[in-house]
Amino acid sequence: MVAPRPAETFTLANGLQVAVLPSRRAPLVAQYLVYRVGGADDTPGLSGIAHFLEHMMFKGTPQVAAGEFSRTVARHGGRDNAFTSFDATGYHQTIASDRLELVMRMEADRMANLRIVEKEVTTEREVVLEERRTRVDNVPAAILQEQVREALYGRGRPYGVPLSGLPDEIRRTNVPELEAFYRRNYAPNNAVLVIAGDTTADAVRKLADRYYGPIPPRRVEPRRRPAEPGSGLPQRLTHADPRVAEPRWARDWIAPSRRAGETRHADALTVLGTLLGGGETSRLWSALVLDKRLALATSAGYSALPLGLSSFGVDVQPAPRVAIADVETAVDAELKRLLDGGVTASELERAQNRLLAQAIFAQDSFSSGPRIYGSALAGGTSIAEIEGWPTRIAAVTPAQVLDAARHVFRADRSVISLLQPAGVGR
Amino acid sequence: MIARLRYWLLAMLALPALGAPAAQAIDIGEVVTPLGIRAWLVEDRSTPVVALSFSFAGGTTADPDGRRGITALTARLLTDGAGSFAEQAFKRRLEDAATSVSFGASFDRVSGSARFLSANRDEAFDLLRLAMTQPRLEAESLRRERARVVAALNQAEQRPASVAARTMMATMFAGHPYGGDPDGVRADLEAVQPEDLKRRAQAMLGRTGLIVSAVGDIDAAELARQLDRAFGPLPAGGLRPPPPDWTPPPRGRTMVVERGVPQSVVAMALPGVPRDDPDWYPAFMMNHVLGGGGMQSRLFTEVREKRGLAYGVSSSLRNYRKAALFVTTTASANERVSEAIRTIRGEFARLREGGITPAELADARTFLTGSLALSLESSSSIASLLHSMQIDGLPPDHLRRRAELIAAVRAEDVQRAARRILRDEALLTVVVGRPQGVATGD
Repeated sequence: MVAPRPAETFTLANGLQVAVLPSRRAPLVAQYLVYRVGGADDTPGLSGIAHFLEHMMFKGTPQVAAGEFSRTVARHGGRDNAFTSFDATGYHQTIASDRLELVMRMEADRMANLRIVEKEVTTEREVVLEERRTRVDNVPAAILQEQVREALYGRGRPYGVPLSGLPDEIRRTNVPELEAFYRRNYAPNNAVLVIAGDTTADAVRKLADRYYGPIPPRRVEPRRRPAEPGSGLPQRLTHADPRVAEPRWARDWIAPSRRAGETRHADALTVLGTLLGGGETSRLWSALVLDKRLALATSAGYSALPLGLSSFGVDVQPAPRVAIADVETAVDAELKRLLDGGVTASELERAQNRLLAQAIFAQDSFSSGPRIYGSALAGGTSIAEIEGWPTRIAAVTPAQVLDAARHVFRADRSVISLLQPAGVGR
Repeated sequence: MIARLRYWLLAMLALPALGAPAAQAIDIGEVVTPLGIRAWLVEDRSTPVVALSFSFAGGTTADPDGRRGITALTARLLTDGAGSFAEQAFKRRLEDAATSVSFGASFDRVSGSARFLSANRDEAFDLLRLAMTQPRLEAESLRRERARVVAALNQAEQRPASVAARTMMATMFAGHPYGGDPDGVRADLEAVQPEDLKRRAQAMLGRTGLIVSAVGDIDAAELARQLDRAFGPLPAGGLRPPPPDWTPPPRGRTMVVERGVPQSVVAMALPGVPRDDPDWYPAFMMNHVLGGGGMQSRLFTEVREKRGLAYGVSSSLRNYRKAALFVTTTASANERVSEAIRTIRGEFARLREGGITPAELADARTFLTGSLALSLESSSSIASLLHSMQIDGLPPDHLRRRAELIAAVRAEDVQRAARRILRDEALLTVVVGRPQGVATGD
């Protein structure tokens, strides 16, 4: 998470949370409507249904015919799209600022009046299956990544189930199930509206009241997220694939987020991710790429945003002809050095500055603000938490980083994964 | 340095949104420095950020024989240590100044970009100058970067979309420098020595043919001063001869490249229209209606929405200094890919024979005029928009004239462009996978 500019916020009587990020830089507005539902909320046995429904949201209402939503946006010089993550499903348009009312009217319409018909579901199911082939089946690294998540969070449990769904379950997903999922989750009190760009909070409030205001709230079930990691940890996974030319080694640990587990570690882990694996001055890069020549590249990743438990990952692209065991030993040695010796004040400060500079560059981007607010708010992060981010990051101490590292880097809560070439059969 | 930066970062982040006036059309100024360097500038004080986009004449097609890939490799290595700073020290200085600088190379140009906080501009332009005038290009950096490029080339040979793109380019540009991979070939890369890099760096970075665009929190006088500091020390440099003219292959064909993947990836290519051709705007509109416009194009509607044959299907016009292509890509399950290709070819024929409707023309006009603002996403994206206009040889007031040029295109112009471009007999179709019902042949 990187905090953008302060937002003006309010909530409609029906529970729709609204954040406005005014910017007069270009005569544009962006509307992000993000529902508090994602792949981790998939109906049991119907993995991918949250994502499938995202596709169906473009298939029309009594007012707007199938495909007409995007066509209308384009006709007015705008662009639209949507995304599904484990915790959220978002719909967004960017368009000339005098067309905000148009996109708001259409977005509110499909919040309440989506029409899901058999014929459209049958065709779109094929598109969803093709999307899975493009993103997963044709990409060996993505196949392994699904296995890693299953090991970390548990088979069939939230975050452990593929976001795009298992092919058999996509084939079983039908009109009544999609309708039920829509009715359960798509409601104003289960969504966040973020408007960014050349407009004002007053103007947004008036329009939101007119279009979203009349939609009644629904009772929404509480969201279930894993409080415990998968039961089979630690694990070691190997995916050998003839389509892999260059090996990759990774290790992922279960980690707290801002909402789950030992949440006090979240900011220190953000800083630790940068210090350990952010760019070409990080510890892992210095040790594995420059000093020991074992790797061509290294990285580390952590997000504090998940509603449930998060993970902390280290990724290494080994140098040619290097034994994977040596890579693993070198990463272990770096972690041991960290756990034994802690971090220095100056390297910590560099990592913090890097994160704060990213926040300023995020302010320079039109879409960063609404994307960050939409995803964070839909995942249960508060406005105060988003806006306090720079101050909290700057306040992280060496002792807190060490404490967080000790909490996370435990062998019994990790998955080691190796992607490697197999055979020659093309 | 580190502590001072911290203080400043927190102060900037605590500020509320700055109420800069809405830029209705971006206002492009021209700057000529005392040393004669010309640049475009969009001054925008709304964030404390400056972005630069610049390039030099001559790209990877100027790679010497036996050293294919050296231009791109040299460009990547410019920021791996310079002047008195070894690699890690140089990277640290960049980081402490919250500055990113990167270089790359395409067929026709060597390009660079930089982004930094305006308060650090002195240091940022210093580091940029060092990277261009005193790059260290050491053996150790070479060894590592070469291994990365070779690894990427190896992996690209296995990724179906890369195989499709590479096969398409190699076939359309057989015998021409555009047929080669800009990243080079393994054997040549293995032979590169540090002295080769030094020679290449000197030859490729010169002020003749330099194009610069700047966007953000900087005024014209300050930009001129800084550009002279960074680019002034470069040699005048001579324009290298352009790549040879290109003659498109006389006939199209279908090529299947076997790969064990469940989904076949398709790349279809036709000769396109040069940027300065009178048919450019008609072709631009044609592409939008056919497959360029995202979720409302004909290809999207026919291939995805109606038949569910693919997740992604789109087309684009690609222009190089000496060539132009019209490229369509998609990916579809092995057993259905032949239907996807048939559908796409059917749409080519329908456009050729029936043209576009008045409604499609009107919609394309409003989209292509209105959507320009969508590229104003960040200082960096505005700088690269300006830079691409400069490469295309357009004047700074082009953004104002563009709407008229689009409005002047009639439906019959679009159909003429379709007949000129969408020729069945010239179509190259590359399919990577285990496609059913598709075979290599004419």
